[in-house]
Amino acid sequence: MLNQDPLKYRELAAKAVEDKQLHRALAKMRDKVGRNAVNLYNQLSPGHDPRQDAKAVRRKIVDNLDVVLETLSANIRARGGHVHLAETGEDAVEYCLGVARRFEVSRVVKGKSMLSEEIHLNDALEAAGIETVETDLGEYIVQLKGEAPSHIIAPAIHYTREQVGELFAEKLDQPYTDDPPTLTAMARKALREKMLTADMGISGGNTACAETGHVTIVSNEGNIRMATTMPRVHVVLLGIEKIAATLEDHDILLRMLTRAAAGQKISTYVSYVGGPRLPDEPDGPEEFHLVLVDNGRSRILADPDFREVLHCVRCGGCLNVCPVYMAIGGHSYGSPYCGPIGAVFTPLTRGINTCHHLCQGETLCGACKQVCPVDNDLPRMLSLLRSKLADGDRRWDVRRQSLPTKLVFGAWSVIMRHRRMYDALSVMARFGQRLLPRKNGWIRRLPGPLGGWTRGRDFPPLAQESFADRWARRDKTGRGA
Amino acid sequence: MSRIIERVRQALNVQANDGRDRLVFAKSEEFINCAHATVTDEERGGWMESIRREAQALNLQVHECPDLDACGEAIAALARERDPEWGTLKRIVRWSDPLLDELGLEGRLGEDIPVTTVPMADSFGESERAEFRREVIASYIGITTADYLLADTASLVLLGGRGRARSVSLVPSIHVAVVPGSRMLGSYRQMLSRLNGQTLPSNVNIITGPSKTADIEATLVHGAHGPREMHLFVVAS
Repeated sequence: MLNQDPLKYRELAAKAVEDKQLHRALAKMRDKVGRNAVNLYNQLSPGHDPRQDAKAVRRKIVDNLDVVLETLSANIRARGGHVHLAETGEDAVEYCLGVARRFEVSRVVKGKSMLSEEIHLNDALEAAGIETVETDLGEYIVQLKGEAPSHIIAPAIHYTREQVGELFAEKLDQPYTDDPPTLTAMARKALREKMLTADMGISGGNTACAETGHVTIVSNEGNIRMATTMPRVHVVLLGIEKIAATLEDHDILLRMLTRAAAGQKISTYVSYVGGPRLPDEPDGPEEFHLVLVDNGRSRILADPDFREVLHCVRCGGCLNVCPVYMAIGGHSYGSPYCGPIGAVFTPLTRGINTCHHLCQGETLCGACKQVCPVDNDLPRMLSLLRSKLADGDRRWDVRRQSLPTKLVFGAWSVIMRHRRMYDALSVMARFGQRLLPRKNGWIRRLPGPLGGWTRGRDFPPLAQESFADRWARRDKTGRGA
Repeated sequence: MSRIIERVRQALNVQANDGRDRLVFAKSEEFINCAHATVTDEERGGWMESIRREAQALNLQVHECPDLDACGEAIAALARERDPEWGTLKRIVRWSDPLLDELGLEGRLGEDIPVTTVPMADSFGESERAEFRREVIASYIGITTADYLLADTASLVLLGGRGRARSVSLVPSIHVAVVPGSRMLGSYRQMLSRLNGQTLPSNVNIITGPSKTADIEATLVHGAHGPREMHLFVVAS
């Protein structure tokens, strides 16, 4: 897959900021889904914030994850399913390949799974000579294009209908059209053939029910039901944290998930899949495998400051309201988890130093927290990541990122705590700024190392009279200055 | 003992078997009790209205029938009127269920449109499964019933099992579901509460309208990979 490199964030983001086509495409998502979600929460129980209920359920589960994992595994096995706990991505990929080899699989159909992107499963299957077909329409478009998804739930949202039309005309040998229903019908026909002939179906899971031994999968298209019903074997990939304990947990979690993800009260299909078909059932897969993947999650779990990020239900809601995501698109993040959630999750699993741009690129505006169905405090965790980059952190192997930055902020902190020094420096700065180039009253370029601030924007000059001086004058005259 | 569960325990700084499972799997009394909340006739009337309203936005077509005879006739008429999406032959596949037997579709449609019932057996051989699979793929209409009909979202709850094949509500282009009005419940929560404590089948599907997608420019299109069209027949008696 392309664009799997968070190191290229600056370069890709700079390009994306200029991409008008991308902005037009993303604006549709923002306008149709982002605002809708909050309205739908409010309808759930007027006067009460259901996000707090969902948060409490997620916290209960994550804080008792060992119990929930053990119960789920035991119950899935009791239902005739196989369970594999994979420590790393490679381990999970190897397991999937093993199952595919045993069934002599030549074609895999996949339901959408961000985890499979995280562990690069498609590449490994293709390298093993297995045709791997994405069946979600958005994922299919992205796959035909040879790209990675750019959104957690709407993978091809960065394309306009004209671009999809050109792609289908070229790859599916169809006459050009930019009519979404006609384009959808083309994909329906092409993918139906694949889904009815594949030997193996691979899907993600939205959650699971530990007490009954089921994996819960939501979809609107029905492709996931196809991929999990028609092939001989079904493999589910699930992060170890994405489990629910009881059916009661499902009530609030699934209702919040579908509202946040797509502004829907419920998705078209909510499927509880609990193991292979029984002997008296004429259809369904003959084998069922659940692969529970750690891949860095237990390390996050061990840090009480970041454990909250594992409450995430992967609805993608934070993307739809994030001004940074809207400006740079999902590909700039160089990870399947983009937007605000990606800016926290990716550094924690792939290295905070390596992925420092991701957490430094966000604005901390708080929109993501406001829309999150489980009230995840992403801005808090973004700030914390930045403070680790500033100070260094042994637990997370973070090297201090920039000594000059640290010194500047250290000096700033001293100045702020010493009134006289602050006043003296303000006076100097007020005189000094006269030397700087201006445009419409704003400073166009700051000197020396501060120049980075003004590379892409202007800087407001210091007022000729400080607030403290005005306040003092007001005191003397006894009225507002 | 899995190494990962051991790691999770270390991360959480907890011990195995320390009694936390009681807390984790505890349910609220309100949840348990809502399974059998009594419903007034007025409330039921409101539920039907809610289903009609939700269905409209979902492109789910609701038909209200006085009895199974009228319902059978309406489904037969629908079958005659619609054309297959794939191929030219008209075939129907249906769940094996006493309620659906009473529709008398086989008699109404005669030899023009054969109706296959999901086979019942304690176990199936390779070739019988393959044969059934061909039948489902060749069918343009799949008929099921549902265990519950949820009022607040117009959702059908289909519990899998013997005679209730998963593919019947999925592979044919048109899904028809027949549900007695008495199986209406208020909400998803109430349905979960009814299922609480039962051993669930290997497959449960909650279906809300025909298949759809919004992956191209967030434009809603019906008929992505599942049924393009869905009809809900609510039978009064």
